[in-house]
Formats: sequence, structure tokens, C-alpha cells
Amino acid sequence: MRFLPLNSAQRQGLLGSAMLSLLILAIVGAYYLWGESYQARMLYAVFVNLLVVVGLQVFTGNANITSFSHAAFMGIAAYVAAICVTPIAMKAISLPDAPWGLNAFELSALSAALLALLITGLLGLATGLFMARLTGVGVTIVSIAILVIVHSIFLYRTDIFKGNQALFGIPKIFDLPQITALVIVAIFIARAFRESAVGLKLRASADDEVGARAMGVDVFKVRLIAWVVGTLFFATAGIAYAFYLGTISARPFYFNFVFLTVSMLILGGLRSVTGAVFGTLMISMGLELVRWLETGPVISGIKFPEVLGLSGLLLGVVIVAVMAFLPRGIMGNREIEDFVKRKR
Amino acid sequence: MDYFIQQSLNALSFGAEYALIALGLAIVFSIMGLVNFAHGEVIAFGGYSMVIMGTLLTNNPFVLMVGVVAACVFASVALERVAFRTVRGADLTTGLLTAFGVSIILQNLFLLFGSPRPIAATQFIFLDRTIAIGSIRVSSLQIYETVTTLLAILALMFFLRRTTLGMAMRAAALDFEMVRLCGVRANRVIAGAFAISGLLAGLACIFIMARRGSVQPHMGFDPVLVAFVACVIGGFGSLPGAVLGGFLLGITEVAVLILLPQSAGGLAHAVVFALVALVLIWRPDGILSPAREKGDKI
Amino acid sequence: MLEISQLKVFHGVIEAVHGIDVSVSEGQCVSLLGPNGAGKTSTLSAITGTAKSTGSIRLLGEDMTRLSIEERCRKGIAISPEGRRIFSNLTVRDNMLMGGAMRRDRAALLSEIGEWFERFPILGERAGQMAGTLSGGEQQMLAIARALLSRPRILLLDEPSLGLAPQIVAKIFEIIRELKSRGITILLVEQNAAAAIGVSDKVYILNNGRISRQGAAAEFGDGSDLMDELTGVHS
Repeated sequence: MRFLPLNSAQRQGLLGSAMLSLLILAIVGAYYLWGESYQARMLYAVFVNLLVVVGLQVFTGNANITSFSHAAFMGIAAYVAAICVTPIAMKAISLPDAPWGLNAFELSALSAALLALLITGLLGLATGLFMARLTGVGVTIVSIAILVIVHSIFLYRTDIFKGNQALFGIPKIFDLPQITALVIVAIFIARAFRESAVGLKLRASADDEVGARAMGVDVFKVRLIAWVVGTLFFATAGIAYAFYLGTISARPFYFNFVFLTVSMLILGGLRSVTGAVFGTLMISMGLELVRWLETGPVISGIKFPEVLGLSGLLLGVVIVAVMAFLPRGIMGNREIEDFVKRKR
Repeated sequence: MDYFIQQSLNALSFGAEYALIALGLAIVFSIMGLVNFAHGEVIAFGGYSMVIMGTLLTNNPFVLMVGVVAACVFASVALERVAFRTVRGADLTTGLLTAFGVSIILQNLFLLFGSPRPIAATQFIFLDRTIAIGSIRVSSLQIYETVTTLLAILALMFFLRRTTLGMAMRAAALDFEMVRLCGVRANRVIAGAFAISGLLAGLACIFIMARRGSVQPHMGFDPVLVAFVACVIGGFGSLPGAVLGGFLLGITEVAVLILLPQSAGGLAHAVVFALVALVLIWRPDGILSPAREKGDKI
Repeated sequence: MLEISQLKVFHGVIEAVHGIDVSVSEGQCVSLLGPNGAGKTSTLSAITGTAKSTGSIRLLGEDMTRLSIEERCRKGIAISPEGRRIFSNLTVRDNMLMGGAMRRDRAALLSEIGEWFERFPILGERAGQMAGTLSGGEQQMLAIARALLSRPRILLLDEPSLGLAPQIVAKIFEIIRELKSRGITILLVEQNAAAAIGVSDKVYILNNGRISRQGAAAEFGDGSDLMDELTGVHS
């Protein structure tokens, strides 16, 4: 392995990413062996969340600045991809009033995805130019502003986005194999970013901004890069979301989803990619269990009552408990390979 | 002219509501650096208490008003005890996420024990009547709202300037440790801040209920989001800033509603938030951001 | 009155003071001298409870180590801290009221504030002015007055002369001498060794977190032979 000029942290990153990928493959394998078909949808949703949370780790984790706008970027990419890829005949029904000839063209899946990435990435760059300049709280606040603005536009331009109604008729392009591949690639990229020079500088500036500046770190530049890279992750998640579900609406791209994904990240531990993966898997499993309880299941002959709101309650409790007792999350600063190393 | 007065009153009453809620956020933030996003759920708690009290106790609106305010004060102080004490002194993000967590918990508790659909509570609706002053027809609620807010601000100013606890709060905004070094109990100052915050939430709750006539689990979220923005515009942690920001937002929102075509009404929020983003880029710490001082070595 | 033994003070994981013993008797003025970074302020912070420490701190035989900052003040520890830390957004009078914030006898408090205004007319003239507008020397007087208005058993003074003009420094030490003559127990942290020794009964020299010398103030003369120890220069 001498042909790659990698330092030891980066080599460990490769090892860690490979281990996480094996975990993902094991989960997918388990599904194909024992899973029931309705669980495919569930697993797909978990993997979309995983893309988002790993993307969050890139900016929020490394820069240690909470941002809430990811649902907005994901929504933008999902709508762009959906509008581009839906066949003209279908758009005549689903988007009859769309302006600018939006319902008069269609693109291949690949070009639709690339266009969605490009547009979202450019928006990420435009917002990032401001974001990277702001202080920590400022980013959080402006990210909320972005989320609200984008959501208002989704709701307002019903001729393009259908608002809270569904934009339907999107062809199903992705399935479990594609998203699995995407998740694995995302894990490798996020980990590579964390261990790269930019990632290291970003983490240093998160620990001590003045110190990092004094050492010659261009905090603006590294934050901007992380912001744009993160945006591309969200865009990918949005595209994957649109390419599978067949219909999208504005509602999922708002605060509830933001809280869900942010709590996944903080449970696992902001600073580690492994944490992002573990947090997502744990909360997803926990929520699935609670959702099943919510519907009022029959356990050993006893019919439990239907309790709405239990899953949300659990999410809130997880956030508060983690913040109070485990502010660095489960993983803290560690990555998966650190466990293996210690056993040696 | 009439139209102008009506719209001005509109702007004032919008602004008054935002200012009330924003003050509640700002007073807590100025003392413990916590962006209390659960403030909206304190308001919703007031609403649900009103439903319960209205069913079990009395329909007398004035008793209910006292009850709503008391419930909000209780909820606010209780939240500090249960949830925010553990993150006291933690960094801003930790506090913010905790507050969001608490907000989600409460919303879902309302969902669990209440209903996802609105529950009617119409005892305060009578506040909202159209009255005629000369040739101008205005809503009585808007007048009550504006006047109450101004009175609340005056009372708060008196409290902060003339009482020991109020002075301690102002001092704590600058240097909490020094206040404790003067023998003032930290818990009292913080509980006081949350109590005032709850009181203001209670007043806001009365007006929100008078307008809506129903409660819903998420009813507090949007007003607090806007109030949060008001705080940002005014400068987070600055009480005059919160008031200024609240009224500025009220004026902006009414102006946007007047200036934009009717069909674009849904974009009022988007425009307001875009303005906020611009303000932050222009002045990252807000318009009236408080000076931060620390006891550094000279 | 104040008995400190085996005190270690920590800033995060760094140990700033490595187990010192200090005792102050009733009515005494005791100086803690040493170069920058010797651990003087850390020692005071441990006494007031604003820094983490191990060891024992007893005031009139009562253990302080488990008490919060505010409870220690209520037991009788008051401080005029490093950098004075007056509340610049409050008026001069309100700063003084904050000093007595925990007292119940408001009438007595108000008359004491009146006395301070007579003692320092310049503060009296500016009673309604924001404290941030005062000069350094005036702020120092205000900080001392604020600390004493809590009616402490012991007054901790952290570098009261720092950054002040020579005449003002002389005035500050005149005030300290006067306080001592009124029977107030004082623990003084200073860099101005000569002046501090002049008002003290007992002197501790702190160096690198350890006490390198201690004794009655008379043993130190005018402090000129302490130059090396206090500047941290070892010839």
C-alpha cells in the first residue's frame, strides 16, 4: 500500500470506512436473507437519512457549528431531479401550470441528477460565501432563515412544487443496491474529508479559532469548502429520495426532518463519521420500534392502545439526554477502527 | 388616512406580540446564554391549561387569564429546573439543541394527551371586536395587545431598575460570576429570568388564544421562530433590541403584506427571513448588540 | 479566621497551585506576593469558589470547600477581584446595592452607602452615573466599597493597585490601612511589594504555585531584597 501518499490517520480512515461499509453491507445482506419486502422501503429511508447525517458531519461535525438548512438543500435537489426526470406526458397531469416550460422537457436520470447536484451545489456556494464569514451562532440563525425561506417558496409556488400536495409520477430509478453504493461512497468521502488537510484545519479551527488563524489556517476557505461538500451530500440524498419514492412534497423538508437528522448526529457524536453512522442506525431502529408501539400492536395477546406522538417524544428525550449526559455523543472523537486498535 | 391608521395599528399589534415573545427569549438568553426554543411550548402549555381550566373550573375569562399566566410562569420555571439546569454554562449549541429537544418533547406530550387536531377554547374571543373610533374601524384586540405590551415593557423596566433581583439580572447579563461573588444566588436569578419569561409568554398566550380560539400542539412554534428572528435583528441578549426587533418585524410584515400583491401573501415570512439574513450579514451581532465585557487583566 | 491547608488549584487539567498553607488571623492584613503566574489569583479564586481546588479552606473553623460561590460570600468572604469587574452597565449606586444584595437590613445598607459616598465624594457625585464611565482608581474604590457592603468577615483584594497612577496607588493603600485600623481582616494579593509589606502583618511569597518564603512583615524590610523572587529573575 505504498503507492498512495497517505499519512497514518488517512490510512486508518480507509480502514475505518471499510469497516463501516462492511457493517452497511451486512445490514443489506441481512435484509436480502431474512427481510420482508416492506422493509426495503424502511431500509431505503434509513440510508437516505444516513447520507444526510454523514453530510452533516462534514460541516457541522468538523466545524462544530450547528446548521439546520440541510433539509432545504435536500428539498431543492429532490425537486430539481424530480421535475427534470419526470416524463413530459406525466408532467402534463402533475404540473399542468408550471412556468418557463418546466413541463415541456425531460432529461435522462443521469443528467437530471447532475443538474440537481449542480444547482444545489451552486446554491451551497452562494450561501456558503456568507455562512463561512459568520460566527457560530450566526450560521445557526441564518441556516434557520434559509430553511424557512426555502420552505415558504415550496409552499408558495404551488405551480412548480405543489406545496404540501404530492408531486407525483416520478419514475423509480434507484433501488436498494444503488443507495447502498451511494452510502458506502459517502462514508469513504466523509472520512477522507475528515482526515484531509482541509478537514484537519477545520477541526483545528473548531477547537481554537484564533489559534488556528494564528497558525495560518484560512478559516473562511476551509469552512466554505466543508459547507459546499456538505451541500452536495444533501443534494445526493434529495436525489436518491426523489428517485425512489415516486412522489415528493414540501412537508418532509422542514423542521421535523432537521431535528431527526441532527439528533442522529449528536447521539453518535458530532466529531466522528462512525458516530454519524451509529447514531443514524440507532435512532432509526429505535424509532421503528416505537412507531410499531405507536400503532397499538398486539403483544402476547394484549392489545396495546394507539399512542400518537411517542416517536417524537423519544426523539426529544434522546436529544435532551444526550446533551445533558453525553454532550460529545457515543463516539466522542473516536472512530470505529480505534476499537480494533485498542484490542491489539 | 383611515387606511394608514388601521395598517399602523396592525403593524403595532403584530409587533407587540413579537416583542412580548422576543423579550421572553432575550431575558433568558442575556443571563444564561440559552436560546430557549421551548418558549413556544410554554405558550402552548398556557393554551392547554386554559382548555383544562375552562372545562373543570370556570368559564370566567378573567380568572382564566390569571390561570393562563400562572400556568406559563409555572411551565417556564419548571422547564429550567428539569431540563436547562443540566446544561447551564454549556456552549450555545448544546443549549440550543437541548431547548429544541425540550420543545419536541412538549409538542409530543400535547399530541399524546391532547389531540393533533385543534381543540376549541373560545373564552377570550370576546377581546376581539371591531370598534369604531370616529370614522376608523379597528380591532379592540389590537389595541389591548399594543397597550398591554407597552405596559409590560414599562413594568419590566421598573423591575429591572428598581428591585434588587432586577438589578442582579442586569448585572448578571454582564458578569454572572461577579453577581454570585456578591452573594446573590444563581438559582434565584435564573429562576427569576424564567419566571419573567413565562409571564411574558402568558400574556402572549392570552392574545394568541383570543385570536385563534383553539389550541394545537405546534401553536407556539411559529410565533417563537419569528420572535427569535426579532431577537436576532435587535441583537441577541439585548432587551431593547428584542423590543425593537419585534416591532420592526411587525412593521415589515405588514409592509410586505401591503406592498406585495395579495397572491404573494404566503411569501411574507420568506421576505422577513431574507431581511434577517441580510441584517446578519450587515451586522453579524444584530443592531443593538450588547457590549460584552470580561474582567481581563489590564 | 481563614485557614488554608494543602490547597491545590486547577484550571482545567493544569495545576496552578501545588498545595499551599496560608492562615489569616482576625484583624490581620496578610499579603500574598509573587511574580506573574505564581498562582496568587488562582489562590483567591479557590477561596471564593470560582476555581476548582482540593485541600481545605476553613473560615472560622467552617469548611468552605463544598459551598457554592454565593454561599461562601454569604458566610463572609468578599472580593475586590482582578480587573475590578464592576458592573459597567449599572450606576455607581446600583453597583453598591449589588454589593449588599443579600442583606435584609436595607435601611442600614442605604446609610452605609451614604457613608461611602462621604468617604469618596467623587463616587457620591457620580452616584447616578454608569459605573463604566469611572476612572480606574474610582472603579477600584467602588469595587472595594462593593465588597465591603456585604459586611464580610474577610476581604480579599486582588491587585488593587494594578494599572493605577502612583498617587492613586498611594491613596488605595491609605484606604487599605484605614480598613485595617477599623479591624477588617484582609488578604491582599499584590505585585507592589513595598507598599503591600507596608500595610501587612504577615507576608507569603508565592512562586510557581508554591510558597517560597513566609514570615512577619517586619522580616521583609522594605521588600527591596525580594526583587529577584518577585520578578521571577534568578541571578
